[in-house]
Amino acid sequence: MSHYIVLVKQVPDVTQITDNAFDPETGNLMRGKLPSVINELDAQALAFAEHMRQLDGTAGGKVIALTMGPPMAEDVLRYSLARGADEAVLLTDRSLGGADTWATANPLAYAVRKIVREMLGGADDYYVVSGMQSVDGDTAQVPAQLAEEMGLPCVAYATGVAKGSERAEFTRIISGGSQKVSPRALPAVVTVAKYEETLFAGFAATRWARQKEIIRWSADDVRPTAVGVKGSKTRVIRVFPPAKTQRKCKHVASVGEFVQLLRESLKKASAVEGANGDVATDYVLPRKRGSVMDRSFEGTSKEIASFEDLVGQLKALNIESAGAVDDEAKEKIIAASRNGAKLNQAMLDDMLKGLEAVEPSYRGDVWVVAEHDNGQVHASTFELLGKARHLADSLEVKVGVVLAGQSVAGMAGSLIAGGADNVYVIEHPLLAEFDPSAMRKSIAEVIGRHWPQIVLFAATPQGRVIAPMISYRLGCGLTADCTSLDIRDSSRKGEIAVLMQTRPALGGNVMATICTKDSKCQMATARPGVFKRLPADESRKGEIIKEEVELTEDDLSLDVIETERGTGDVNFEAEIIISGGKGLASKSNYEDILNQLTSTVAEHLDCSVERGASRAAVEQGFVERVHQVGQTGTAVGPKVYLAMAISGAIQHMIGVSNSEAIFAINNDPNAPIFKQCDYYLVGNIEEIVPELTKQLGAN
Amino acid sequence: MAKLAGFNKVEVLVVGAGPAGLAAAITIKKRQPEIGVCVIDKAEHAGNHNLSGAVIEPGPLHALLDMALGQWQESERAQDVLGHVVEKDKVLMFLGKKLAFSMMPSIQMARLFRLGFGKMVHKGDYSVSISKLTAWLSDIAKEVGVEVLHGFAAADIIMNGDGSDAIATGVKLVDQGRGHDGKAQANFMEGEVINAEVIILAEGCDGLVTERFVEEAKLTRETAQLYSVGVKEMIAVSDEQYEKFGSNRCVHAMGYPLWTPLRGPGMFGGGIMYTHKKNHITVGMIVGADWKYHDFNPQDALARFKEHSYVKRYIEGGEVVEAGAKMIPEGGYRAVPRDPATNYIGKNNVIIVGDAAGFVDMLRIKGLHNAISSGMTAGMAVAAHFSFPEEIAMRYTRMLEESRVHRDMRAARNFRQTVAKFGNSLGFPLSVAANWLPKFNIEPDYETMTKASYRFKREKAFDKDAFTAAARVEHREEQPGHIKIIDPEICYNICPDNYDCPCIVFCPAGVYERIHDEARPANPSNCLHCKTCQNKCPYDNIRWGVPEGGGGPRYKDM
Ligand SMILES: Cc1cc2nc3c(=O)[nH]c(=O)nc-3n(C[C@H](O)[C@H](O)[C@H](O)COP(=O)(O)OP(=O)(O)OC[C@H]3O[C@@H](n4cnc5c(N)ncnc54)[C@H](O)[C@@H]3O)c2cc1C
Ligand SMILES: Cc1cc2nc3c(=O)[nH]c(=O)nc-3n(C[C@H](O)[C@H](O)[C@H](O)COP(=O)(O)OP(=O)(O)OC[C@H]3O[C@@H](n4cnc5c(N)ncnc54)[C@H](O)[C@@H]3O)c2cc1C
Ligand code: SF4
Ligand code: SF4
Repeated sequence: MSHYIVLVKQVPDVTQITDNAFDPETGNLMRGKLPSVINELDAQALAFAEHMRQLDGTAGGKVIALTMGPPMAEDVLRYSLARGADEAVLLTDRSLGGADTWATANPLAYAVRKIVREMLGGADDYYVVSGMQSVDGDTAQVPAQLAEEMGLPCVAYATGVAKGSERAEFTRIISGGSQKVSPRALPAVVTVAKYEETLFAGFAATRWARQKEIIRWSADDVRPTAVGVKGSKTRVIRVFPPAKTQRKCKHVASVGEFVQLLRESLKKASAVEGANGDVATDYVLPRKRGSVMDRSFEGTSKEIASFEDLVGQLKALNIESAGAVDDEAKEKIIAASRNGAKLNQAMLDDMLKGLEAVEPSYRGDVWVVAEHDNGQVHASTFELLGKARHLADSLEVKVGVVLAGQSVAGMAGSLIAGGADNVYVIEHPLLAEFDPSAMRKSIAEVIGRHWPQIVLFAATPQGRVIAPMISYRLGCGLTADCTSLDIRDSSRKGEIAVLMQTRPALGGNVMATICTKDSKCQMATARPGVFKRLPADESRKGEIIKEEVELTEDDLSLDVIETERGTGDVNFEAEIIISGGKGLASKSNYEDILNQLTSTVAEHLDCSVERGASRAAVEQGFVERVHQVGQTGTAVGPKVYLAMAISGAIQHMIGVSNSEAIFAINNDPNAPIFKQCDYYLVGNIEEIVPELTKQLGAN
Repeated sequence: MAKLAGFNKVEVLVVGAGPAGLAAAITIKKRQPEIGVCVIDKAEHAGNHNLSGAVIEPGPLHALLDMALGQWQESERAQDVLGHVVEKDKVLMFLGKKLAFSMMPSIQMARLFRLGFGKMVHKGDYSVSISKLTAWLSDIAKEVGVEVLHGFAAADIIMNGDGSDAIATGVKLVDQGRGHDGKAQANFMEGEVINAEVIILAEGCDGLVTERFVEEAKLTRETAQLYSVGVKEMIAVSDEQYEKFGSNRCVHAMGYPLWTPLRGPGMFGGGIMYTHKKNHITVGMIVGADWKYHDFNPQDALARFKEHSYVKRYIEGGEVVEAGAKMIPEGGYRAVPRDPATNYIGKNNVIIVGDAAGFVDMLRIKGLHNAISSGMTAGMAVAAHFSFPEEIAMRYTRMLEESRVHRDMRAARNFRQTVAKFGNSLGFPLSVAANWLPKFNIEPDYETMTKASYRFKREKAFDKDAFTAAARVEHREEQPGHIKIIDPEICYNICPDNYDCPCIVFCPAGVYERIHDEARPANPSNCLHCKTCQNKCPYDNIRWGVPEGGGGPRYKDM
């Protein structure tokens, strides 16, 4: 008999975000304007836990829902009680507000301990189950950090569960496939990536839930070691709306030109980087700038402007260094400060101090944690290396890579060719399989030996588990899923040359720039495909450094039962998605055309490709529902989206809006999709496809 | 599960949290706070499935608010919901795409002579969104101690016994968690049975459980129920347009594109233009469901209406921010279901209120005030006689017969039938004397379909995808379809030749599609719950069932 502590979170309903949910002045999302709902993956986690309880079969297993949030987060607890949970705990305290993932995971871990002590009689046969990530933060960090704080095995990205001989067996997503694993001991943390059969509220259960008492704990009740803003290791610098992609809506006359454009779009590196960041210019260290007063490398344009203002005033007063400003001068400066950027004493003092700061806040190299499979380094690692090289050059430090596995030294050369100066190789038989516990222990140890100033991970199923664990273990902040990384100053805080980590949040509806604080090292994960790799340069020189780590069987947390690669699942991460609509008229037509095109593209354009469909095509039975793209299907964001005989209904287009380029073919010159795509051909599919296939096949 | 024992029992169960059901629940609680009252509704949130015009007669609403809140006039919520009072009341006749004549003089005249259609005046009414009004009433109900639970769809009523003793013991909810193929998934939950001592059916127009009850308890109607279909859009307009229209104008337009004097078409109904929100104008088209054109769709008429020069200038260039469709029961007094033995509107411990019973006053084209009144009457009957549940139907019917609902409904009893019988040109004048004419037996709406075509059909198909997007409709996709075709053979072999499958055209959400030469409810998850299909398929071949709770449109301002 096991128990289940389910972490649930209340989030703004991002599906209801409209343009007027943003403050026109600041660009901030006005959360009050959105209804609150339970985070969808947490609802799935609750169903997952209930399913585990039923599989277990023995009576007496409890499901306890736990949330940390404002008092109104009670709603998600009632939601859970109406769907099978037996008890609900609300951890709520003003002091806990404003927490980042660190200062969320920590109090939650203490609350779990208290639940186990007081409500489960100190049992250790329990699971902490949670959604893999939340839609507002998208970080996927909290459960892994909670596992780290409690020293528990973490089964991340679970999609299914079966009864095992001793403990439950989980199916989880790994890069390029899936894996069956079982935790070697309980308690364990499970994060759910996809489990669609969420529970329905019962009528009787809803009425029971309404009167059921919710257990409320304050920070003092659980005594966490990290609390609220103060206990956080990151801080948000600014929030802004993402750049809107303007579609080109260009009518293309010939198939030849169409294919040409398609090839070009595929070749282009992802446009995500920079597009949504402020700055893409290189950084120059203060001591190398013409004047120490030059503060044009601040984190936000507003700060740049106020520093420029201040420097202008100092000049006008003939003051040459910030240290020489006396009280009288300060008064003058404050009096003269513009209405829009009115200064007060404290702000001015901050800025003057900032003008004196010239030394970088962090020391050490820029590191990348390598990911690999079957003796090959992942493309995502090379992309991170490209970025790391760039950052390291402007900071005038070296690029290091940590490479851990059973026998991996052979890959070091390719990393050096890809931009690394130092490769830190960790080899150990127990690192043969990717076990998050053993992996995070070895890598954290090596990071702790050298203390780089920046460590980058790929935001892959592996990276998103070990990065939170490693950062928590080393006491460092972590920002997940960055789409842009820049070195900038934050002079008013006395910080020079810090990493500005920009990432989408709230389901891509806002962008946030985040900085690390109170940490020895700045850590971030970045999405694959965002950064550009450097051309491999075999003549580059670098050093390979062997690192020893001690590992025993006890450091393993999971038994791997079975690994499956490249399952026949739909791969909507593909670089090009070709979708067919109802206009293809029949299943055989759909299959002929799509097979022809996808195989030609895969063969001749050297890229991953997947088939998609409109809902109407699915309803007509052309293809299985898993291929449906759109509001009720999957939202996709490939480099090229090619829509064949799809009209462009709003529910379809919502699901493709993140595509970098949209191509369309339709025989109706007034098809709505032509107003929402980049390039289009007008004509009959049947007539166009043979020519299209031919042109795509031509090398 | 043991911990839940007893939680499926309530004292009074109200099915449907619309104005009628909430008025009933609030009244019971205010009068007898110790009676437990629970209201269930299939919508995800309060107001999501409530769509109306609407101009509402203030009397009954005031009475309800006075009773529930005492002081309410100054409250922020009241200002928000009831902030628009009709001052400019326009009744127009559209002739063609450009001309508009005022009908006000003849209505004033009729009023003077106390003729039926003289009641078509709206000055002093509130112009409201009933999604918002309903959401407010729902909050009031909760405040006074009613349990209002959303996301629970009722599928059936459970009756015990036969004949005059038949007593209802409860209501069964829909099954949840079946897959497309009907098989139970891991999260399957069989529809629970809610036991109740008194059941108030307040499901609105053509209620599913209501009709199950009418059948089981053998209630009858003197004439078949007739319907109208309403489609509407709320349009965000410019400052200038809104200023021109004003915050207190209400427009009813007859004639084009539903009716023209000589060459047709000849349909009952008209267009509406209201406003209940700053810089937003609501346009709608209400059409008698006895139209005979196989290729007609009320949305086409709405599109024509929007192009009429009188309408266009106020809304041109505006953005449709919300849209929806719903039916109105128009059979009136004689189409109210009653127990033939006793004449009660219900049986023993079950009663029917609001649109579910058909309390729409066709002289005023209004049902909200009657929904609230009948709900309050039901509430008073239950509060006073709760200890004798089997007397509730009798008490309720008697009290209702003393009320204005009854008087008004009786006065209008033949209006709609007269128009249906004689058409607009003859029917309207005749309706003056409708109550002295013999009773007509009018055929149900589905029997009126012909091969004729609608003369003002537009070239460009109406964009139903955009319409459903604006209704924010959503259902769990994997559930079994909630719409059943009784005999698919008809759709394949007979209907196409005779009527070219009208369901594909008239369904406002594009639910029906031709797949392999056969019309099918292919996209049930687009459904707006308007129930037009169930009443307009020429072969009466469609049965609408309730999908899983929480599915359907998400109206906020309809
Ligand atoms: C709640 C809700 C959720 C929805 N979710 C989704 C969703 O997730 N995904 C989705 O796709 N839809 C969704 N829809 C449905 C959506 O509104 C559209 O109905 C659907 O996308 C239309 O698919 P289509 O473009 O293939 O078909 P159609 O709209 O019928 O378009 C077919 C197109 O093919 C063209 N064509 C025909 N013959 C040829 C030819 N020989 N050569 C070239 N072109 C030709 C036509 O000109 C036409 O433009 C949803 C709808 C609702 C209400
Ligand atoms: C287009 C249009 C314009 C109108 N204009 C006016 C006007 O200007 N003035 C006026 O006074 N009246 C007008 N009416 C009529 C008025 O809207 C109705 O009379 C009124 O809404 C009836 O209220 P009700 O509470 O009976 O039903 P509804 O408002 O329909 O409420 C019924 C509720 O029951 C729920 N429900 C139904 N079945 C189930 C089930 N099986 N399980 C659970 N829940 C269920 C529904 O979700 C809904 O919330 C108009 C109607 C329409 C359609
Ligand atoms: S459902 Fe009715 S209208 Fe539609 S095709 Fe079948 S018979 Fe015709
Ligand atoms: S399927 Fe029927 S109930 Fe649903 S929107 Fe269409 S006509 Fe209305």
